[in-house]
Amino acid sequence: QTPRACSDYWSEYRHCRSLWNRFHHYYTYGTSPSCYQWKEDYYNCKACEKSTGGEAKQEALQRSERNRVAEQRKFSPVWELRRDPPSDWHLPLNHEKPQDS
Amino acid sequence: MGQTKQEEEYGYDLFPERNAGKYKKGSVAESLLTFNHKCQVMLQLAVETSPYAKLLLGAMKNSGCTVFKDRHFACEDCDGTVSGGFDAATSQIVLCQNNIHQQSHMNRVVTHELIHAFDHCRAHVDWFNNFRHLACSEIRAANLSGDCSFSNEVARFHFGMKQHHQECVRGRALRSILAVRKINRQAAEKIVDEVFDTCFNDHAPFGRIPHGKKDAKFAHRDYENRNRYYANL
Repeated sequence: QTPRACSDYWSEYRHCRSLWNRFHHYYTYGTSPSCYQWKEDYYNCKACEKSTGGEAKQEALQRSERNRVAEQRKFSPVWELRRDPPSDWHLPLNHEKPQDS
Repeated sequence: MGQTKQEEEYGYDLFPERNAGKYKKGSVAESLLTFNHKCQVMLQLAVETSPYAKLLLGAMKNSGCTVFKDRHFACEDCDGTVSGGFDAATSQIVLCQNNIHQQSHMNRVVTHELIHAFDHCRAHVDWFNNFRHLACSEIRAANLSGDCSFSNEVARFHFGMKQHHQECVRGRALRSILAVRKINRQAAEKIVDEVFDTCFNDHAPFGRIPHGKKDAKFAHRDYENRNRYYANL
């Protein structure tokens, strides 16, 4: 199975190329967005579906997605992640309790 | 009831109803004399229709922090112009019913505060003692909630184009810190600068900076499909 449905790649590509998105990308990053990767991923995805010569395309697609994930993670976080949620999240409210840290 | 030192230090003086409201909760006086009911209605709508909120609520549920409207949200009167806050001591999101009058504003405040709640849920955030943690969450909230969208900035008469979004995020994070902690401006600026790159680029749980509803819907779609996604990398 491909990481995303092929139609998802196409809609991301169209959205990336839209005037609205290009405007907001410039507003945020000061540059033009680079959208060709979505298009390539779409074609690779379609080729995977066809299952002829799909192996190489599958790998290319996976590489592209792994890059995206790596991009999101290449910073060192400011805080330590929890293993469990905060123990007091679900505790009932006690209106008489004095505020203490 | 006099203000304790701690209340001032942690910004609780902006939220005078955190310890005792003017009207008894659920009373007729409360519903007639405050904007409480309007706030509840707008909150319900935000939670049901905003793709930003829906994604955050889903992500929090998956992290073990299911959000219950009655337990984790509180509509209260607040001081000044503050719109909302996250009270880590009680795990509650405070919505300032006297300062939020439009649905779009409510949607944005709910998203902003849910981002704080999400950070509280997934990380050991030391809200009270670590300014870097506070700054990081404020940067993320300003960045991802739509606070700094082009249209919101124009509405504030802040005109800027190239990378203006980042300036806005820096500015709003700074303002938020200065509003709730006793720290001088330069020190706060330095802290924001230190953590900016990391925190500006931390887009969890959206996976992108949602500039509008379509981005938020795509982000929500990605989130719903995450199992398939990670299984096929």
